[in-house]
Amino acid sequence: MKYLPLAWAGIWRKRSRAVLLLLQIASAFLLFGLLQGLNSGIKQAIARAHVDRLYVGSSVSLGVPIPMGLLPQIRDVPGVKLVTPLIQFPSSYQKPSQAIPLNGVDPEAFFGIFPDYVVPPAQVRALKNDRSGIILGAIPARRYGLKIGDRLPLQTQQPKRDGSTAWSFNIVGIFDVPSQPNGAGAGIVNYDLLNEARLADRDTTLLFIALADSPEHAPAVSAAIDKAFANSSHETRTQSEGDLISSQIQRIADIDLIVGGIIGAVFFALLLATGALMMQSVRERVPELAVLKTFGFSDRLVMVLILLEAVLFCVFSAAIGLGLASIVLSLARTLIGITSMPINVIVSGLIYALVLAIAGSSVPAWRGLKLQVAEALAER
Amino acid sequence: MTFLKQTIALTGAGLRSIGERRGSSFVTLISVTAAVGVLTSLLAIREGANIFNGDNARSDVVDVISRGATSTPQSVVTRDTLSVIESAPGVKRSPDGKPYVAASTFVSVDAIKKNGKTGNVYLVGFSPGAALVQSNVRIIEGRQYRPGLHEVTVSEPIRKMYRNMNIGDHLVLLRTEWTIVGVFAGNDSIGDSVLRADADAVMSAFNRTTFQAAQVQLESPSAFGKFKDALTSNPAVSVEVRTLSQSMKDNFGQLTSLLNFVAYFVGTVMAVGAVFGALNSLYASVDARRREIATLRAIGFSGGPIVVSVLIEGMLLSLPGAFLGALVAWALFNGNVVDVSGLIFKLTVTPHLLQISILWALAIGLIGGSFPALRASGLPVATALRAS
Repeated sequence: MKYLPLAWAGIWRKRSRAVLLLLQIASAFLLFGLLQGLNSGIKQAIARAHVDRLYVGSSVSLGVPIPMGLLPQIRDVPGVKLVTPLIQFPSSYQKPSQAIPLNGVDPEAFFGIFPDYVVPPAQVRALKNDRSGIILGAIPARRYGLKIGDRLPLQTQQPKRDGSTAWSFNIVGIFDVPSQPNGAGAGIVNYDLLNEARLADRDTTLLFIALADSPEHAPAVSAAIDKAFANSSHETRTQSEGDLISSQIQRIADIDLIVGGIIGAVFFALLLATGALMMQSVRERVPELAVLKTFGFSDRLVMVLILLEAVLFCVFSAAIGLGLASIVLSLARTLIGITSMPINVIVSGLIYALVLAIAGSSVPAWRGLKLQVAEALAER
Repeated sequence: MTFLKQTIALTGAGLRSIGERRGSSFVTLISVTAAVGVLTSLLAIREGANIFNGDNARSDVVDVISRGATSTPQSVVTRDTLSVIESAPGVKRSPDGKPYVAASTFVSVDAIKKNGKTGNVYLVGFSPGAALVQSNVRIIEGRQYRPGLHEVTVSEPIRKMYRNMNIGDHLVLLRTEWTIVGVFAGNDSIGDSVLRADADAVMSAFNRTTFQAAQVQLESPSAFGKFKDALTSNPAVSVEVRTLSQSMKDNFGQLTSLLNFVAYFVGTVMAVGAVFGALNSLYASVDARRREIATLRAIGFSGGPIVVSVLIEGMLLSLPGAFLGALVAWALFNGNVVDVSGLIFKLTVTPHLLQISILWALAIGLIGGSFPALRASGLPVATALRAS
């Protein structure tokens, strides 16, 4: 420990060079932090998902409608507590940019399955009793100054049977999702209303969402649902919430591969940069190191000093980069829905920095170990 | 003239000394290569996705979807609407009077990639008019699907990327067995991302009664106004008429701008890192020649050529990185097939991307050279000469 100040002083021996290398390392770790942060934020969302929520869709693909007629059979599968259909209509308020997606559901079952959607029970009952009611998300309600009792005119993208795309709803409730900053953007309406008015896909649903009676039973319940429809003309595939999210993400792109490739290139370049600069720095300080050895510093201690210097510097710079990444991620929180920088990204980033430092400084440190005092001083 | 001569002399001296700074020069080269390589690779994805931006779309083809739908999946086109479209003015007709109208219906289908991951492709049912409108789509292996039968043709990229997509393989969807009978190529739009089949077969297998979109070939691009007015003023139908290029922009514009953003964001952060590397290398170059530069200043060389020579050195140092980076991206990725959100395209490293990489490398060299150049020109002659 007492050698820390010595190593620290060694780092700042050539101030401008150190600052530049620091910035180079910090920018690499900024990128690392952002990419890995995003990536593991997605994985966290998967891990946080509720395993007892089961999504029943067509075995062909999610998005291929399945008949409403399956509902009673799903409800009768042992272990299913609640089940709701879900259909989604993209829609907008006064301007096309003011999107308020509509979810057509069975209100009581839906809010029972999603207790994180906070709404007074009386409002759910009101929606059940008012066919053209809507429980609006808190975000659009706040943004457009809408409150309970207002009429809400909306334009949907899917035409009604009469060809029009204009709808009007009574706002009977407002829900909020405290656990997700931008979760409360949609409007919840009665499935029956949307279904009866729409032109295409009548009496079908995009998927059913079922709640299993316990997380432990969920896999068995999920298998039982699919078994009930096996070899029927409407085979289903039931996924837990986590499976659903990960398969949706996988569809978008192979994020792991892209992130891995970028980070690989960044660190390769960085390894060379730190290595070369450490070499240069040790070369310039050969006489100083020789003097240390003359004072009685052992060969090994000189080597450790060089390593320590590299480790201190790399970890310090990496911490700056990772810190910046956390700030950027938390600023972009509302955009990407990740609450904070996952701690494992910070830890793995610092470990990478450590490995980088040791790999980059191993050659210079070896030189320090082998340094012959007489020769080194003779060069002077 | 002296300015030029002095610049050349100074640049030469700087370049000769690169050999003495092999380490840091090499590092600069590698940082620039890495930054440019990643930027080019990411842009190659966008370049591949550019087939969706509509710029090359045929101007005589229009898309018809239901009013209010922002993209094809939300659209509904009934058979009644289709017959109104088919009889609208401006639609091209074959000698025997058949309209050039291809109606289609889409089904998203999960499929397993060769690497074991799940992806999705679209099974698209086309009405017989597709043979007229999309005459550029041709069968390169096997044969065409037959109307009314559960037969499909696949694109070459889909066959390459997914399991069980060869001719003779079967696809079981909702207890219906579909046979792959051929491989097609040559579609200029989203064609490579789909399985093609007959619309009636798809609609009966998936209990559908409506199409989702219609593609119409006009007599000429100038018939667009006539065709559009006839449909939009007809109270019996509620549709939106867009040129093919507009509809592709609407459908995929977001994707292309997202890919652009990711590529330039990552490329910028990496370039910033490379700038610091270049700064370090060039500071070292200037530092190593302090006395030399001071001597030159003392015998009458002016500051301008010194600045310019350092900047040139910086750009020459980073320029090979541009070619190397583009080359690495090309060697690793060019021609690879990727899919983003179920859309399949080939990564392409184009000459345009090489231009972009050269620009970035020059910018890195220029910024990396700027501060060292100023330091060199501002060296107090007396102190520098006295320094050891």
